[in-house]
Amino acid sequence: MSDSPVSDGPIEGDVAERAFLAALAGLPAMGPARLRALLDLLGPAGSWKAVSSGRLPREVQAVIGPRAASVATSWVEVARTCTPEAVLAELHSAGVTVARRGEHGYPPALVDDPDPPEVLFSVGRPVVSENGPTVAIVGTRRCTRYGTEVAVEFGRGLSEAGVVVVSGLASGIDTAGHAGVLAAGGGSPPVAVVATGLDIVYPVQNRTLWRRIADAGQIISEFPLGVGPARWRFPARNRIIAALADVLVVVESHLEGGSMHTVTAALERDRPVLVVPGPIRSPASEGANRLLSDGAAPACSVDDILCALNLVCPEPVSPVADHGAPPVVVDPADLGVLEALGWEPTTLDGLATRTRLSPVQLGSVVGRLQRAGLISEERGFLQRCSGSGAP
Amino acid sequence: MLASINSATLLGVGGHPVRVEVHVANGLPAFGVVGLPDASCREARDRVRAALVSSGLTWPSQRITVNLAPTGVPKAGAVLDLAMAVGLLVACGELEPESVDGLAFLGELGLDGSIRSVAGALPLVDAVEADGVVVAHENLLEASLVGERRVHSVGDLRSLVRALRGDDEWPTSPHPAEADEVIQHPDLSDVRGQPIPRFALEVAATGGHHLLMIGPPGAGKSMLARRLPGLLPRLDGSDALQVARIRSAAGEDLPPGGLVRRPPWRAPHHGASAAALVGGGSGTMRPGEISLAHGGVLFLDELGEFAPKVLNTLRQPLEEGTVRVSRVTGSTEYPARVLMVAAMNPCPCGGSGAPGGCRCPESVRARYVRRVSGPLLDRFDLRVDVRRPDPGELLDGNPGESTERVLDRVTTARQRAVDRGVRANSDLSPSDLDAEAVLEPAAVSLLEGALHAGRLSARGLHRVRAVALTISDLRGDEGRLGVDLIDTALSLRIDPFSPVGPSVR
Repeated sequence: MSDSPVSDGPIEGDVAERAFLAALAGLPAMGPARLRALLDLLGPAGSWKAVSSGRLPREVQAVIGPRAASVATSWVEVARTCTPEAVLAELHSAGVTVARRGEHGYPPALVDDPDPPEVLFSVGRPVVSENGPTVAIVGTRRCTRYGTEVAVEFGRGLSEAGVVVVSGLASGIDTAGHAGVLAAGGGSPPVAVVATGLDIVYPVQNRTLWRRIADAGQIISEFPLGVGPARWRFPARNRIIAALADVLVVVESHLEGGSMHTVTAALERDRPVLVVPGPIRSPASEGANRLLSDGAAPACSVDDILCALNLVCPEPVSPVADHGAPPVVVDPADLGVLEALGWEPTTLDGLATRTRLSPVQLGSVVGRLQRAGLISEERGFLQRCSGSGAP
Repeated sequence: MLASINSATLLGVGGHPVRVEVHVANGLPAFGVVGLPDASCREARDRVRAALVSSGLTWPSQRITVNLAPTGVPKAGAVLDLAMAVGLLVACGELEPESVDGLAFLGELGLDGSIRSVAGALPLVDAVEADGVVVAHENLLEASLVGERRVHSVGDLRSLVRALRGDDEWPTSPHPAEADEVIQHPDLSDVRGQPIPRFALEVAATGGHHLLMIGPPGAGKSMLARRLPGLLPRLDGSDALQVARIRSAAGEDLPPGGLVRRPPWRAPHHGASAAALVGGGSGTMRPGEISLAHGGVLFLDELGEFAPKVLNTLRQPLEEGTVRVSRVTGSTEYPARVLMVAAMNPCPCGGSGAPGGCRCPESVRARYVRRVSGPLLDRFDLRVDVRRPDPGELLDGNPGESTERVLDRVTTARQRAVDRGVRANSDLSPSDLDAEAVLEPAAVSLLEGALHAGRLSARGLHRVRAVALTISDLRGDEGRLGVDLIDTALSLRIDPFSPVGPSVR
């Protein structure tokens, strides 16, 4: 990027423009529509002048609506206490770059979007502006082991195939998708679009993942520094994910939730939506299976997704993983327990009822299978692992 | 003009001997009580006067002073009424001092001269410094449990005076002592399927390991828990007396026969206060639910709905087996050795708790489970998921194993703990475990692995060994504990609060 360090004197040109953009985006109650109305009419410098003087053009007032006067007053107050130079300096020290729509560093896929962000903040390498094939992996935060494994596998496979994988850095499927990309190593870099300012990690337990994505790839946000999570920002973030992707892949989704919003946003933008089929009795796959019955194409392997990107011909069908093949080095009793467990989360009690083994027999088999990495336990629920190295 | 009568007052679950001294002298007519009486004790003045007058006995129009010795011990309740009345009669010459020699008096007076029962008769009779005791008819059974004292029961003041003067025989009680209590705990054969929770109950009953059951509403958690007291052996002599003592001190009825032979079952509501749970209260201190469950089962249903502060007060009593309640007015120790069983839903929506299986946002679930603190969770050696049984299991008509058969196994296995010198394996200290629960080398490395992976705390490590030892006792195994037992003990110790989903390190 061509960001030069800020000098002490008055700022000019590109740098000045970015400073105004950053300061405008940081105003309270500033959303994409208001920012767009201001910039379309007055440009960055003109907008800042209008905001600090409190005299907003009639068109902008119309966009803000009935509370225009009070919003204008609050903007004047904030503009009096902060300078665009200081805002830009803060962004620089945090390693954040700013890009305005249509300019260098702004993702081409977003330029002609029906609801584009006027300003994008990002950290890391400029990945999304290079216009390579891009896939978004989204899904529920409350995922099962099955969803985790599939998301990791897809993330890794797509990255190895040179496809950029975008997700939202939320817990659950998003984390698994990013983890898959990071596990590929040397493939295409990970990209995350977040709903907070770039200095606020949400959810906090993803701090390490956040850092690793920022190191290896790019994290994008349309919100300025210091903005915490708020309910409305997540659907707004999802529209950017949908717009960036050439293909959207849904891995496990409940009937309602953020990933369903992302699907709606993708369909509005004519992006193909691929869905991973799930067990019909799993609530975590209810939404995904509903999408399939509504006509979405199934994503049963990385190849399915590469096909939808027109990167490979659909001829050879490779299985997702060797789910059907019996694992090696397992004695017959263990194999019986594995088969009884199936691919849905099951309690120890459910397994004992199915296998009719005594608690001690079953306990020792389960312990053995856990150590062999063939099953995992979460809150007492046992789940089979496909051995794909999911985290 | 001076009389001194034996009686007793209640302190905690124990009695404390009291001498009621009555002094009648010339002066302005007055009736004063000194020696730390509480409000209900001071009101005895009015009851005693009315009772004497209605019984046709003389009331001295003189200056009456009653002293309750030792004066440093606070006296509560109306238990000293009867002793004051008798003391007054002796002091003003209605009764000969010799007639009350070697007798103690425990009872509340009605205004008509009737003698009413008091709470805690058992510990009170135990405490008095006399060979014989006079109590109300209703207290005869409890009073007789002590066994070493002559116990007389009377219904009213007039017949008491006649008996003391030798005009009449001592009255006989209209409440004859009955045989053994007949309370039946529900039977385990009602539980269909659910092999793992059943096994957990058996292990809990054998080893005295606290049990946490997690499952959706309607899965049968309470039904399972209710069957646990039936799996515990009957209380022996000293335990039965102790439990009867606590129940008596709390003013609760004793079973017919007096001694509590069945292990108690207490299930306080989740709105319970800390004082209700561990004992205390302003004014008269009362044993809490954990003491009333002493020797039996304390069942905490909807564990997540109890106030976290209240739950945390249980930690120390669970560890030490006694509760020490301190108030400004004094402190008391109550016994509190219980088998704690708790039940809770995996999340507030009542879903199954399976990964991806419920509609609660993760943050809501996390807030719900955080109400149970980690240290309290660590007290539960056994933690199992209880799922709703399949309809097929409910309807297939095969009853589960009966309480009687399981109790046989439990009793046999408990004997092995008794041979080790403890009541149950949960009482074994880490150093005892080193000697008693010797591990096979493979089991040692398995536990080391679990410790290093952060799955077990050092304390948890010992508890897993104790549970494995209990399972081995149930199976009648001899020798070292193998990998299969350790694996089983670990499988009965799930972490219900771990976050689900992937994480990147």
